[in-house]
Amino acid sequence: MSEEKDTAFGMFPIGLQALNQHYFANKQLHNLIESTNTGLWERNIEDQQAWWSPKFCELLGYEYGALDTSYTSFIDKLVHPEDKKPLVDAYQNHLKTQSPYKIEVRLLTKEEGYRWFETSGKAWPDENGKLSRMIGAVVDIDQKKRNEIKLKRNEFLLNETNKIANVGGWELDVVNMELTWSKEIYEIYELPTNISPDVDSAISFFEPGYREIISAAVSDAIKFCKPYDLELQIRTAKGNIIWVRTKGIPIIDSNGECITLRGIFQNINENKLKELNLQKSLDLLGDHNRRLQNFAHIVSHNLRSHSGNLQFMVNIFAENISAAEKDEVFGNIRSISESLATTIDHLNEIVKIQTEISKELKPVDFESVFKSTQNVLDSNIRRTRAMICYDFSSCPTINYVPAYLESIFLNLLSNSLKYRHPDRNPKIICETYFDKEHTYMTFEDNGLGIDLEKHKDKVFGMYRTFHQNTNAKGIGLFITRNQIESLGGSIQIESAVNVGTKFTIKLT
Amino acid sequence: MMTATPFKTVCVIDDDKIYIYGLKKLITIKELSPNLMEFYNGKEAIDFLINPENQNQLPDIIFLDINMPVMDGWGFMESFVKIKPQLGKKITIYMVSSSINQDDINRAKGISDVTDYVIKPISQDTLVELFKVAA
Repeated sequence: MSEEKDTAFGMFPIGLQALNQHYFANKQLHNLIESTNTGLWERNIEDQQAWWSPKFCELLGYEYGALDTSYTSFIDKLVHPEDKKPLVDAYQNHLKTQSPYKIEVRLLTKEEGYRWFETSGKAWPDENGKLSRMIGAVVDIDQKKRNEIKLKRNEFLLNETNKIANVGGWELDVVNMELTWSKEIYEIYELPTNISPDVDSAISFFEPGYREIISAAVSDAIKFCKPYDLELQIRTAKGNIIWVRTKGIPIIDSNGECITLRGIFQNINENKLKELNLQKSLDLLGDHNRRLQNFAHIVSHNLRSHSGNLQFMVNIFAENISAAEKDEVFGNIRSISESLATTIDHLNEIVKIQTEISKELKPVDFESVFKSTQNVLDSNIRRTRAMICYDFSSCPTINYVPAYLESIFLNLLSNSLKYRHPDRNPKIICETYFDKEHTYMTFEDNGLGIDLEKHKDKVFGMYRTFHQNTNAKGIGLFITRNQIESLGGSIQIESAVNVGTKFTIKLT
Repeated sequence: MMTATPFKTVCVIDDDKIYIYGLKKLITIKELSPNLMEFYNGKEAIDFLINPENQNQLPDIIFLDINMPVMDGWGFMESFVKIKPQLGKKITIYMVSSSINQDDINRAKGISDVTDYVIKPISQDTLVELFKVAA
């Protein structure tokens, strides 16, 4: 950079040469520029000659004058390989379109490796109007840039994590009741991100029953600084019902007042459904286990009572008793053996219900099965002058084991006739209906009724009888219950003494 | 108080007729008591006990079954506790059942008016023993 050239370009307000001169000549200007930590540079567009200010050199860890005065060599040696192309592109764009030249690049320092700098500049024309040189400045932005990169990475990680975990964050400014959601919450609600949420509408997405819970939790969190962590169901904007986990933590100011509520909101639908399914299987298994235990108990008890009597009679038989007495005792032994056989038949029947896994379900018509049951009991019905009504119109058929339905009808109907009220003719009403996913049947009579306060847990037990009735065997309702439960249903009883009995059966 | 009779009056409350037959026979064979009354459920027994006309025939020992229709053994004990003050006699009650369910055994032993719980069938030795205890 010769003095001659300097004069040639003297017309520029701040040319390299002018700058060079002033830089050192004017102490104040020099100090000012150096104190801003800004390095200056100049580049001759024609021959790629360059000048680097003392601060520029210092920023890169060099002495003033130690840097090559060629812009080409600067690009080659000092600019990070990945940043070369963007830098050259920015430069060419600037020359072509005068677009602002400002770019972040990594420059190789003498001792600290690459550091981030922001370089900006402007091309100036010569006396002929041709762009001949660029003057610019660099600032060390390494710390800021690294923080930015770190932040971006963290943000990326968080976003990815949130996306994978289906979890979003939210904040409620309690003073203004302003609610802010992260992107994921919008996604969970299946709402567009351009709407701004508010507490009331956010709560309105919760399903009835859960809405009251979340409402109370939010209000308690604000009023009493009480955190919450709940698993509830929402109906999304698109109408999907899903399980979410919502957690809220109050942020408390120095007066102990909740000023902000923060929390997470997570879609836990898949896991929750799995959990619920598991619980269902567990309940089913527990139920089955309970029935098996109950059965083992029944077997033990019922066989014991017969074997006990048998032993009793055999012992007496061995005593010194008369021939007539021996006949009596033998008669008893015979009747014990008969009841033993009956009991074993009953137990077999129960075992069959419990173990017949491949029960064949067929569409069964309630009316025809009910009518054939009435035919079986016809003489009984006539004798007792029973009035029997039915209405299967709202649910005329069911997929069921036909023999079970016949047996259920037969047991209930014969029970109603057997335990009719002595003062009135039996009146029996049987109906079916469909509710949500289940088929129900109700069976109601006006008979003797059962005192459920006393007998509630025994009604469906084996060999449980409640009335002094010689033909009561206490097996019917036990079998009925087993048949119903083995197909996943349940049976409930309501009864009042001298008024009647009503069974409500969930068939499937 | 009644004057003590040489033989105790026995009452059996059970719906199992064969068992009652056996018990009766055994008592006769062992000459434990000539007086035996039988009821087929708890309610029949309570009705008898609370009837003032029967105050001279109250039993000394009751053998009480658990599972019975109309009023079972537990129901009988509930009613018995209530009417006990009206009865001018100490009555020894044994609960006798074929149930070996520990819940039943514990429940019976938890009732202070039940002297013991006996599992069916009653052996002759046990029967003799129970009469001695009730003495």
